Amino acid sequence: MDSVSSARDGNPVLSRQWWRPGLDASSVRWVLFVAVGYYLAARLGFAFTLRPSPLSTLWPPNALLLAALLLTPSRLWAWLLLAALPAHLLAELQSGVPVAMVLGWYASNCSEALIGAALVRAFVPGPLRLDTLASTATFLLCGVLAAPLLSSFLDAALVSLVGWGDAGYWELLRTRVLSNALAEIIVAPLVLTWGSFHFARLRAAPPARHAEAAALFAGLLAASLVLDLPQIGLHATPALFYAPLPFLLWAAVRFGPTGTATAIAVMALATIWGAVSGLGPFTGHAPAQMARDMQLFLIAVAAPLLLLAAALEERKRVARDAREQRLQLTHLSRVAMLGELSGGIVHELNQPLTAILSNAQAARHFIANNSADPQLLGEILQDIILADQRAGDVIRRLRTLFKRGETNFETLDANTLVRDVLRIVNGDLVLRAIHAEIDLDEPLPPLEGDRVELQQLMLNLVVNACEAMGGVEERLRRLAIRTRAGTDGGVVISVTDNGAGFAPEQYERLFEPFYTTKRQGLGLGLSICRTIVRAHRGRLWGTAAPGKGAAFHVHLPAMRPGRRP
Amino acid sequence: MNGMPACVSIIDDDGLVLRSLDRLLRSLGFAVDTFATPRDFLDQPASDAPGCIIMDLSMPGLSGLELQQALSRTGDPRPVVFISGAASVPASVAAMKAGAVDFLTKPLDHDRLLGAVRSAIEQDRASRDRRVNSAALAERLTSLTPREREVLERVVAGRLNKQIASELGTAEKTIKVHRARMMQKMQVDSVAELVRLWTAFRQPGTGTPS
Repeated sequence: MDSVSSARDGNPVLSRQWWRPGLDASSVRWVLFVAVGYYLAARLGFAFTLRPSPLSTLWPPNALLLAALLLTPSRLWAWLLLAALPAHLLAELQSGVPVAMVLGWYASNCSEALIGAALVRAFVPGPLRLDTLASTATFLLCGVLAAPLLSSFLDAALVSLVGWGDAGYWELLRTRVLSNALAEIIVAPLVLTWGSFHFARLRAAPPARHAEAAALFAGLLAASLVLDLPQIGLHATPALFYAPLPFLLWAAVRFGPTGTATAIAVMALATIWGAVSGLGPFTGHAPAQMARDMQLFLIAVAAPLLLLAAALEERKRVARDAREQRLQLTHLSRVAMLGELSGGIVHELNQPLTAILSNAQAARHFIANNSADPQLLGEILQDIILADQRAGDVIRRLRTLFKRGETNFETLDANTLVRDVLRIVNGDLVLRAIHAEIDLDEPLPPLEGDRVELQQLMLNLVVNACEAMGGVEERLRRLAIRTRAGTDGGVVISVTDNGAGFAPEQYERLFEPFYTTKRQGLGLGLSICRTIVRAHRGRLWGTAAPGKGAAFHVHLPAMRPGRRP
Repeated sequence: MNGMPACVSIIDDDGLVLRSLDRLLRSLGFAVDTFATPRDFLDQPASDAPGCIIMDLSMPGLSGLELQQALSRTGDPRPVVFISGAASVPASVAAMKAGAVDFLTKPLDHDRLLGAVRSAIEQDRASRDRRVNSAALAERLTSLTPREREVLERVVAGRLNKQIASELGTAEKTIKVHRARMMQKMQVDSVAELVRLWTAFRQPGTGTPS
């Protein structure tokens, strides 16, 4: 259960002990994360205060706490809230706030995280990932809107009660809702996405991907900072407001929820830093109004982007699942077909094994009779090596077909493909006493395709043809395989038998799933063949062969222009 | 091994297997002829030496079973041992029915191969001996005059000289002379021996006296 679930979720920290009782290593890690993170986040919050006003534009500790709760089982929540207490005291007491107020804020901060986590968990069980539209929308409604709003009633009441500061209740409420909502939408997604990130994937990514990410963030940073320049900034060109948008969209489309959350955070920090430093588009007003404008702007930008990234991720996953299923089905049918070929494969392996055994026994007798001359023994050993290599080739060819792998398009030659397939079915042809007539057009234009899938396609057509000739007298069985360069730069491969053939109206039905004319068989072979051919942008169709029997033709198009042959 | 050395003919379209069986049987003291295709084998004049044929059941062009049928048509008496890389039950049954001595599956068991080859060669020797005997007998029979032949058939049928004489319309004394000369030409001393020769000669498969 452990290894299976962690392998599937890809995040051992989160999934391994998700339902286990007690405070184990991963729980301790979370407790430490909250204790240290909360303190640092609070320091960051102080740094974002718009002086001379005591207002912080972004208050990240609450968001960090909410994210930690959303990623852990609820039995850990009490521990996490407790871990935040010393961090809270340490950070707040330095700023000379009365103890009563400090404790009051701790209570309201905890209530915010708890409200958000409980609401989200009620709709989305398990650790929250922002990778579906539903979970992201739930997070925005419960975590970004409801939690800051509800907890701020308590917070503002406590502030009024303690009598700290001189702002009114509604003003306190409005300020806190906005600064906390902004923190939730900027900081929590960072923790949520990076907390369940597959770091192995980062290492495995090609250099081009790293370069793209670097370009994206450099551009985003430049576009965000350009707003802060007083000379060419927003005051000169209001349209520059939209400068970071292309980069944020780029992140959403290409880098998923994690990239989007990071990009939003970069832009938000750059903007807030500008505002705090007295630069950027939001300066020039009273601190309160300036903070409100900026917060609303950032929230309005972040929410749709997170939703967009989640929707794209969801669509990508659906496509991935569909492809995975197709791969699985293709692989299963390939393995089933190899099972049908087992008699021929046994024959192909037995030939070299016989040669090896008989050669070795002969050598032993020659040596025992003292009639072994070195030249003869050399020849015997040479033949043993040849036979062993032949058996090895058989096994290698089978192994690639048995393996389940990703589709891998490469440049292929249709004639090589036909020859490889003939080697695999050779044993079957011999045992079935089928004479193969091979007519290859040389040279053929190169194709682009998955070698294993196209081999499977050809094997399927050849095995069908062989089975169709079961009722034909042995010396009359003829299998014809022909390749021709097509007029469009593609290739046509035809497999013809002289078996019973089909009625004209059957030829299209043959490609329907579960339609079969065999006594045994699922009727999936040709339907999978057609799927394979379509994935190669080709066509597969059947015709009656001249005389009697059936012919199946595969048309594979020329390589797309621009691809290297 | 008595008389001429035995010769094993191997037919297999797989060069590696053919060479390895050639070496194995040579190492066991047999003389070996190899053929890559059934055609090559049929083009070769039949050998006088006793021996047997080892052939693969499934070969392109002419299958092993078809070759076996061709051999029995041409009157090649050599026994056949079939080998196969993936034996199907129907194929082995058909082979044994058609008179194969044995049916071995690859990879070949050394002892079974040796046993099969030896018993095939023994079988061939025995049938060759029989054929030599019946040929000699046929020669003796043809040396008889028509009258001596008539006497022989009646002696074997258990007739007395007197009965034979009356059937052939001649004197008993003349019959006695014919009979003595017939016994001498047939190189037998007793009627019992004559009857044994005659019945052996009339066995199915060895032809009937005209």
